[in-house]
Amino acid sequence: MEEPRIGVYVCWCGTNISKMVDVEAVTKEVSTLPYVVLSKNYKYMCSDPGQDLIIKDIKLHNLNRVVVAACSPRIHELTFRNACEKAGINPYLFEMANIREQDSWVHTDRNEATKKAIDLVIAAIRRVRFHEPLQKRSVNVDPATLIIGGGISGMTAALEIANAGKQVYLVERADHLGGQVARFDLTFPHLSSARQMLLPMIRKVENHPMIRVYLKTELQEVKGYIGNFRARLQFMGTDQPEITFGNIIAAVGLKPFDPSVIEEYSYGKFPDVITSLEFEDKLRAGRILTKYGKEPRNLAIIHCVGSRNKKYHEYCSRVCCMVALKFVHEIRAALPDANIFEIYADMRAYGKGHEEFYAMTTHKQIIFLMYDQQKRLPVIREAHRDDDCNMLIEMSELLSGIDIEVPVDMVILMVNMEAHDNVRDVVRTIGVSLCGNQFFIEKHPKLDPVATTTGGVYIVGTCQGPKDIPDSVSQAKAAAARILGTIAQGSVPVEVTTAMVNESLCCGCQTCISVCPYTAVSFDEIKKVSVVNEVLCKGCGTCGGCCPAGAITCKHFTDRQILSEIEGIMSMSY
Amino acid sequence: MSVRVHPELRNQLIQFGIGDWNACYHCGTCTAQCPLSEEGFLFPRKKIRLMQMGLKDELEASVEPWLCYYCGDCSTSCPRDANPGELMMSLRRYLTSIYDWTGLSKKFYTSELWELGFIIVFATLVVLSFLIVLPAMGYHFTKQLTAEGGVQVNAFAPIHVVETFDWTMAAIVASLLVSNILRMYYKIIWKYGNMKVSLWVHIREFWLLIFNFAVQPKFNKCDDKRYWLSHWFLMSGYTIMFIVIVVYLPWFQTEKILPVYDPQRLLGYYATFGLLFGLFIAIIGRFKKKDVKFQFSHVTDWLFLVMLTLTAISGILIHIFRIHGMPLATYISYIAHMAILVPMILIEVPFSKWSHLAYRPFAVYFQQLKKHAVPR
Repeated sequence: MEEPRIGVYVCWCGTNISKMVDVEAVTKEVSTLPYVVLSKNYKYMCSDPGQDLIIKDIKLHNLNRVVVAACSPRIHELTFRNACEKAGINPYLFEMANIREQDSWVHTDRNEATKKAIDLVIAAIRRVRFHEPLQKRSVNVDPATLIIGGGISGMTAALEIANAGKQVYLVERADHLGGQVARFDLTFPHLSSARQMLLPMIRKVENHPMIRVYLKTELQEVKGYIGNFRARLQFMGTDQPEITFGNIIAAVGLKPFDPSVIEEYSYGKFPDVITSLEFEDKLRAGRILTKYGKEPRNLAIIHCVGSRNKKYHEYCSRVCCMVALKFVHEIRAALPDANIFEIYADMRAYGKGHEEFYAMTTHKQIIFLMYDQQKRLPVIREAHRDDDCNMLIEMSELLSGIDIEVPVDMVILMVNMEAHDNVRDVVRTIGVSLCGNQFFIEKHPKLDPVATTTGGVYIVGTCQGPKDIPDSVSQAKAAAARILGTIAQGSVPVEVTTAMVNESLCCGCQTCISVCPYTAVSFDEIKKVSVVNEVLCKGCGTCGGCCPAGAITCKHFTDRQILSEIEGIMSMSY
Repeated sequence: MSVRVHPELRNQLIQFGIGDWNACYHCGTCTAQCPLSEEGFLFPRKKIRLMQMGLKDELEASVEPWLCYYCGDCSTSCPRDANPGELMMSLRRYLTSIYDWTGLSKKFYTSELWELGFIIVFATLVVLSFLIVLPAMGYHFTKQLTAEGGVQVNAFAPIHVVETFDWTMAAIVASLLVSNILRMYYKIIWKYGNMKVSLWVHIREFWLLIFNFAVQPKFNKCDDKRYWLSHWFLMSGYTIMFIVIVVYLPWFQTEKILPVYDPQRLLGYYATFGLLFGLFIAIIGRFKKKDVKFQFSHVTDWLFLVMLTLTAISGILIHIFRIHGMPLATYISYIAHMAILVPMILIEVPFSKWSHLAYRPFAVYFQQLKKHAVPR
């Protein structure tokens, strides 16, 4: 190994660092350390002149290691790595000391903060000494895409990708496309027909030359990694020829909650207690009739059935409030004289046009009754013999504090949206993870809500969490754009800082295989050693940490690098 | 015990007033700024909720609508323009129809045909009694015109006949009103709530009734004192007139024209002034619609104002014509006066707006009883 020649740069970050840390003292203190060729400070290291300073010094002083003491590496590590690369040294021969978030911003004693900054810089200097050059790698991307689920999200993504001229395989378990939306009559808040929106779309998908639709088909197995997946499909129990593709979109959706587990509502016991989707069926059929073929005079709509209740599901299904208000309009149109009760826990009208829709609905002669989801659910009972209604809903009305009984002939339960029963199989097949509510977990809840931690696997629509049609469609289009981007590039960069197995040290215990969250480690039965797939590996280091033989090294996080970093931070004793 | 929801109540109530009470989202601003709402008797928000929910029985047991004197601040401050003040007004109309056991009140409030028909029928009856019944009894006012002595009201409308009629009508109206008050008592105190009020409390708090009848102290708590004053003039003027006509008719309806400073004339002038002043404020207010309380006028509000004004004007005319010795004009005014007054009293006091003369003070009394009630 060549003699390390380290350049150290301390950033002021305007006054962010310099106010609390004596940058001059830090610069001076570390300048005499072994292998440090020069140490400088500058107002803004991330600025163009700051980066130029590094580039010039590397060339002028023949530096081969660089340490920048500035902000968090999450913000500017890439900036300085690129600067190193420009100057002709490997970007991984760089280390960053965070003296802003971890020091100047969180301390109030200038002396102590300066001492801590020195510690952090020394640790970085000790570490960078053992950095090794690493090479960037990338894999080619198969231009075809597999989409799981033929609902509105899946179809939107399929059309978006296929219209760009790329092959799409659309796999749907049911015998028709359309998903949950196919069951809706009208949509909120514009009261436009779901059918009129959906049918042309289905026709386009079915007739598109670049989309291959697999109905009544289940996904058996997916193998491979980003850019190079292959899958086995099964059509009604018979195996299909294997297909290959570069990216996956999971659009498996959600299913309605089964309210028969809620005793209070007697669903299944009283024939005129129905779910919101069963009521959609009635609306699409064009007749609102009770079991006995009569027009109901009193209709109650109970909100949050299975939602926002620790006993069932704690989350909010987001769309039911607006669907319930939509029902009001449809009932009013069909039965102008009916009494309509909205029995709700909270009215949520967060979306575009939703509050206006709610305000408009309040003028439709509706009786809004509020119940406390946490205290007591409304109870549906059979009416007394002399009552002029079929059922009575007993409830504590929250806004008045009065226990009331509501006469009803038909009760519509606004059921929650929950995960499909087989969602765990899907998750295992495509290698993504689920949150506590059985929704697919996105890579970043805010900045990357369509990707997953598995490269090349995207999630769209309600399987990521309950949402309405516009949200599902935007997510589908976002995922399609991401996929088309990687297809256009032809290749994708993969993680460099991966794990490595030293075959001569590996004892074949396979502990690493059991802990790897990315299924990147496999076992070579011939050599009897573990093998890391460097495309699947994310460099999390879990395997390296648990390997009893010390056979696994994680690139850029070797024992030597970490230990000398620790030595560095402990070296100064004040 | 669960209270039954009556979904049709809202549609019934809307006939008694105007407002989009469903717009209310229960922020409570109205209750917070109401100077009359107090712990245990909170309004208007709570009443809006009962109305929205269709809790008919609870509403009928409410004393609060009568404790509101409609300053209109609640409607002004309402962020949803739900018009809570008008709801309280409508509730008073509704409750009047509920206390009334004959069902006529509801008819008068919800059907203009019924109200106008009633007025016309009774006005005609009055005219007919003067033209046919009294002459048949030997009192020909046409004879009096030719006789010497100018205006002789007593010969035309003999005191003992008019007095008997006055007492009869007062008895009918009072018995209707009293029976309605009993129903009000039953609904508010007797039937509802698990409470018991001792007889001693009933007696001890009775002074409140008299005090509130005479002064309306709660009205004075409303922010605008002018309305309290104009209402007090109207109320006192009317009360004086009523007492004088029913109890002291022989003293009031004299043939001899007394001097201006005589108490008989002074009282009459005061009563007339009180009536006209109160009416003027109310009519101008309803035309200008500047204050919230005057923005919406139910048909019955206008009919009441018009009839009371006509009563006052015809009364004034009788006086003028009598002083100037114009017999025919006096007699015609007298008939007109009676023809307006009789149906007005019959409709307004037991069945309509004027019943508040009893319901309001009784409500304050009942409120006090409720405060001193012990749980049963």
